[in-house]
Amino acid sequence: MNFGFVIDNRKCIGCHACTVACKAEHEVPVGVNRTWVKYIEKGTFPDTRRLFSVMRCNHCADAPCVEICPVTALFNRKDGIVDFDDRRCIGCKSCTQACPYDALYMHPAEETAAKCNYCTHRVDIGLEPACVNVCPEHAIVSGDMDNPNSEISRLLARETVSVRKPEKGTRPKLFYIDGDRASLDPTAANPDTDYMWSSQSSGVGHFAGTAGSRPATTQSGVNDSRDDRTNLLRRMAGSNSPRRVYDAPSKGVLWGWEVSAYVWTKAIAAGAFLVPVIGGYFMDVSFRMKQFGAWMAIIFLAITGILLIKDLGRPDRFLFVLLRPQWRSWLTRGAYIITGYGAVLTAWIVANYLARDGILIYLEPLGILLGLLAAVYTAFLFAQAKGRDFWQSPVLGLHMIIHALMAGLAVFLIGDLWVKPNLGITIVFAFLTSALIVINLITLIIELTTTHSTEDAHTVVTMITRGRFSYQFWLGMVLVGNLVPLLLLITGQSGSAAISGLLILIGLFIGERIWVRAPQLIPLS
Amino acid sequence: MSSHKPSFIESIAEKLRLIPNLHGGTDADLPPIVEPGELTNYPPPDKWDDWVEYEAKSGQRREKKSYMIVPTTCFNCEAGCGLLTYVDKETLNIRKFEGNPYHPGSRGRNCAKGPASINQINDTDRILYPLKRKGKRGGGDWEQVTWDEVLDDIAARIRVALQEDRRNEVVYHVGRPGHEGFMDRILQAWGVDGHNSHTNICSAGARFGYAIWQGYDRPSPDHANADFILLISAHLEAGHYFNPHAQRILEGMMNGAKLAVMDTRLSNTASMADYWMPTYPGSEAAVLLAMASIIIRERLYNENFLRDWVNWDDALPELQSQNRLRKRAASSTEKTMHESYESHEDKFSDFILELEKYYSEYTPEFAEAESGVPAATIIDVARRIGRARTRFSCHNWRSAGSGNLGGWAVARCLHFLSVLTGSVGTVGGTSPSAWNKFKPASYNTPPAQKFWNELHFPNEYPLAHYEMSFLLPHFLKEGRGKLAVYFTRVFNPVWTYPDGFSWIEALSDDTKIGLHIALTPTWNETAYFADYVLPMGMASERHDLTSYETHSGMWISYRQPVLREVARKMGRETTFTYETNPGEVWEEDEFWFELSWRIDPDGDLGIREHFISPYRPGEKITINEYYQYIFENTKGLPEAAAKEDLTPLDYMRKYGAFEVERAVYEKHMDLAPEAQLADAEIDAKHGKVNKNGKTLAVIVDGKARVGFNTPSRRQELFSPTTADWGWPEQAFPTYVKSHIHPEQLDASRNEIVLIPTFRLPTLIHTRSGNAKWLNEISNRNPLWMHTSDAEQWGIKTGDLVRISTEIGYFINRAWVTEGMRPRVVACSHHIGRWRREQDARNNRWSTNQVTIDEVEPGKWKMRVVEGIGAYKSDDPDTSRIFWTDGGVHQNITFPVHPDPISGMHCWHQKVTVEKAHPDDAYGDVFVDTEKSFAIYKEWLALTRPAPGPNGLRRPLWLGRPLRPVEEAFYINDEKK
Repeated sequence: MNFGFVIDNRKCIGCHACTVACKAEHEVPVGVNRTWVKYIEKGTFPDTRRLFSVMRCNHCADAPCVEICPVTALFNRKDGIVDFDDRRCIGCKSCTQACPYDALYMHPAEETAAKCNYCTHRVDIGLEPACVNVCPEHAIVSGDMDNPNSEISRLLARETVSVRKPEKGTRPKLFYIDGDRASLDPTAANPDTDYMWSSQSSGVGHFAGTAGSRPATTQSGVNDSRDDRTNLLRRMAGSNSPRRVYDAPSKGVLWGWEVSAYVWTKAIAAGAFLVPVIGGYFMDVSFRMKQFGAWMAIIFLAITGILLIKDLGRPDRFLFVLLRPQWRSWLTRGAYIITGYGAVLTAWIVANYLARDGILIYLEPLGILLGLLAAVYTAFLFAQAKGRDFWQSPVLGLHMIIHALMAGLAVFLIGDLWVKPNLGITIVFAFLTSALIVINLITLIIELTTTHSTEDAHTVVTMITRGRFSYQFWLGMVLVGNLVPLLLLITGQSGSAAISGLLILIGLFIGERIWVRAPQLIPLS
Repeated sequence: MSSHKPSFIESIAEKLRLIPNLHGGTDADLPPIVEPGELTNYPPPDKWDDWVEYEAKSGQRREKKSYMIVPTTCFNCEAGCGLLTYVDKETLNIRKFEGNPYHPGSRGRNCAKGPASINQINDTDRILYPLKRKGKRGGGDWEQVTWDEVLDDIAARIRVALQEDRRNEVVYHVGRPGHEGFMDRILQAWGVDGHNSHTNICSAGARFGYAIWQGYDRPSPDHANADFILLISAHLEAGHYFNPHAQRILEGMMNGAKLAVMDTRLSNTASMADYWMPTYPGSEAAVLLAMASIIIRERLYNENFLRDWVNWDDALPELQSQNRLRKRAASSTEKTMHESYESHEDKFSDFILELEKYYSEYTPEFAEAESGVPAATIIDVARRIGRARTRFSCHNWRSAGSGNLGGWAVARCLHFLSVLTGSVGTVGGTSPSAWNKFKPASYNTPPAQKFWNELHFPNEYPLAHYEMSFLLPHFLKEGRGKLAVYFTRVFNPVWTYPDGFSWIEALSDDTKIGLHIALTPTWNETAYFADYVLPMGMASERHDLTSYETHSGMWISYRQPVLREVARKMGRETTFTYETNPGEVWEEDEFWFELSWRIDPDGDLGIREHFISPYRPGEKITINEYYQYIFENTKGLPEAAAKEDLTPLDYMRKYGAFEVERAVYEKHMDLAPEAQLADAEIDAKHGKVNKNGKTLAVIVDGKARVGFNTPSRRQELFSPTTADWGWPEQAFPTYVKSHIHPEQLDASRNEIVLIPTFRLPTLIHTRSGNAKWLNEISNRNPLWMHTSDAEQWGIKTGDLVRISTEIGYFINRAWVTEGMRPRVVACSHHIGRWRREQDARNNRWSTNQVTIDEVEPGKWKMRVVEGIGAYKSDDPDTSRIFWTDGGVHQNITFPVHPDPISGMHCWHQKVTVEKAHPDDAYGDVFVDTEKSFAIYKEWLALTRPAPGPNGLRRPLWLGRPLRPVEEAFYINDEKK
């Protein structure tokens, strides 16, 4: 059995009965939806048309949400439906990043993820989903695509159908008859705050009841204003740009400051141990230095852990990540990596205190391996987030390693005063830091100038380099975080090493913030 | 998720109690009701008394819940779609509403408002008890009272009014009826001409247009079988009967039918059309007549139907004389003129020729000039309609019929196309509504009242299709009468009607309105000015019978108080519905029975006798007996019930609906009853059967047929009635230039027309204001304007604009769009609700808090103090409100525009649109009621008052709600 949906746009009248029937069946909270209808207008009078587009989970055959969920709260059923178990969900919100279709929302009270689940509680007793029942036009067709005689199979066989974002490799199983690019491509007509009969002035879902979470409005990043004049000029120039005239409210940016902060603290935690321990193979690095590094690492690892747990919707369930592991998820793998790294650091500190050098010799390579993994795993996690094209970059992993090493070196540049390494090491560290800054800038240039494979990724680049993040990027990240420390290190001012280190850390912090936030501003539906 | 297999780590962790055990033994799975891989839509009725399903919110825990499923009927719009109510057997709460597959109209499906009914049931701001005002009327101070007190007080006042022969002072004013035939009985039992309604701000225009043709005032299009559909409406998103019609329009289209929509605005309906004809408002009749002219000229008409069923005999001389007067010529080259009129055959050809001449001025170019629709499109659509022949279905309900002076002409001209194509009553055509609507039998019919209430049907408007309800405040102001007892029932004129401040003035005056009783399910702006606010139930909390013309069949649907039915099934007897409803929410049916009983305790007023049970002589009728009688007398129902060993009443309790007829067509061809034809004279030449000067039947195909409900029993192309009652120039289908025709607008002052009537698929007037799932979708109503107009005014989307009407202004935000015709602006209905500080917190999903001040006598200013906002209540969703914009109230700034013929309020407004002034705030409203009174007088002067022929107030054959005895139709009893 293989259940799927057909949305027949030849018949859909955009009446929202499906939206409300689903709300009633599942008592979905106000502000979020498992299914909704987007309205797009295109054309110029009198050749104008309003398109209605039912948006919801596509029950993908290769669902990225299932892959990324660390605790198997999302899963594929044998009948092809992608269902979820809110008893398992820890509220990490990775699924909301993985889904390229904006299908998931966070329940405002439960703080667990939810989405259309094909009404499995009905399907299991032989009933159609609630939306299928209510639709006045029978425009939503459910059924078994493995059965050639079913209505859905016959429609799929005879009609031209399209899907949303086929290039993501998710193999969606929701097919639109008479789908239109203006509706299927979310950036063909960007979201707004005020629509033809609705408006949004505060948050929903995770942000329900808060004034925060301004809706994600994006243009190309170059011109952020909802300027009708611009639209008008574009129109007069002959581009009949479609316009989004009704949509469900924006759910906001779900991975907030906690996520970018923990990426930063984790980089420090990795680098602080990696630098002295790797360095120890090439130079005479004192135990005092390694001890400093190990303590800094474990402190920042602990902060990382606290931030990770704090960010969870259900921090009371944080143990699930380790105890209900879903091994394909890099969040699970990362959790084990961090746990292992923390264990190794703890063991190193204890062994060092007890002066068990024999053990230390075995712990250090282990610590290097786990430290590198700790630094880099987030890149793999972000890449699993198929909703964010910009993160699906091979250069991201390289970034993370470089950042970890830079962070570690920065810690030592600052901690120079306490650690008092010999002059040779100080010079080497300064040189290595400068080199890494240059490599960092080079990788940044490569990342931001290589033509990206999707428009969404390119839009993020524009946002960063020329749009709303441009000040933070050029001033904070490039100038303050890279160029100024580079200059200070090269000119070798005494006492400037600590300042360089501080600026590097600031630059890294700002950088992580931009990298985590910007891609989440691209609309997915 | 019983199939999830935990990993090794997880099972150990669960065993060690480190994490909750999600893999413990669960109950047995529920057995599916169909084969695996198949899915069905609804639980089978044999399981409705004990239906077990999984609770959706319990997720993988798969909690089982036991329900009793009880059918009822939706109470939101007039479509009366079926609903199945799921009652939790443990808590006796209603969990949800789904569609009722046994409802022949809605067929198990609903619009968004159907499932949202649960929001209205669970509204934490609901009125749960009868309330009586304390302090000044409108002061916002209320105390809870008992139903007994309420009934006794009101009954006493009505009794006094009847005894003192002030019968015209007792009035029932209804907004949404949602039932068939119930109130007429009540009012006639009391002996009052006390029925007032909202029809004249709704559909009176279109109704007149249809009624003057065929005596039936509404169409019933058979869209599912049509080849071409023309809508001057938005039936894919709103209107009577949106859901059932929308289903069938698309069915027709999927079977190959083409859809044309005339709408100034890009409605969702127009968006789905093959032809969007964005007419300038009020020009629709010109386009229709141009199409008629093409059909006539190109001989695409249905000759047989015209010959047999149009009163062309009467029309021909009138056409000839009018054509001579205007020197019209036929454009066809076929100039066969028959000088001799001996053969009837020849006369029909002459008729066609004269008809062609008469409509020769309505060229496609003329129609294009008036409407802006390209001539080529008009020609194309006309030809397709002609070729569709009997499978042409069409509909005008409100839209242009309700917006414009002479809007009734839109329906008149639209039906002309049905007549020309012979698609009246055919498969795929358009039938008169009454053929698809069931009239319930009554256990007792009180005699008609013997007098006429001129507050409802004043002499100035003899042809008004329903009551001149929206002129009531002005009539009261003029001293034409007063009201001792005034019921507003699911009716909110202060908000919905034009000129709401005149309503506030009238309602605030207790010398004009002695007692104001609001019967309503929710708070509303009119109830603020009542003396009693009486909560009446929603869809699952009341008894009603409905039947509507949704398609070619005929059905009845039963609305029942679901929890009362559940109680009955569980063995608990109840006497009144408020025993099982939330709080003491009651229902009208029982309320009226009780009230009527108490008005006449001794029976000396002759009222009690109409409330005696048909089954238990001498005893007061119960609500169950009332419906039992109706169902026992519904054709086919007793037989269907007997097949399942059920009484008719129990059958309806079980299924909620019944199909009386599967398909009804061409009832005009039914043979006239033999008894009627006895002693009648046959006029073979004109194909009529007459008796006592009245035509009883039409001879077609050699037999006497019942025909239509007109004096001639035919479709009246020429309307002698219109001619006889002062409007000879409009006796034929004609184009009437609207009051907002460009000639009436001063372009130099930037005057433009506002369309204020468009509706949303998710809301129903003001009754959905407490439905959270509907209001989170739709909550603001900006002013739609075309890009070119916005550019000219220097306005962008979101800018504040001031829209000035003839009597005031309102401040709104702009919505610039290509989905609007240039030189027209539009703003939607439903939105812009309000409450004052002293009013109960109500409808907080949709109401702004406002201040209202009478800054000078008659000059009213409203200002929004606080928009919509999140708040704490027992419903966690109220703290999740994410919008603040509650829209702007526009209707209150409109003066009344009574059409002199149909009595319809012409909604479209001549306005000026400009950027808001510096002191203007969003949501501001200003009105001068003295100006609105002056405009009422201006429109009153357009009328051509009664008496008509024979001293009549109104043509006898034109229907009238709550029809009095014939004597009452004569002014001053001057019956001749």
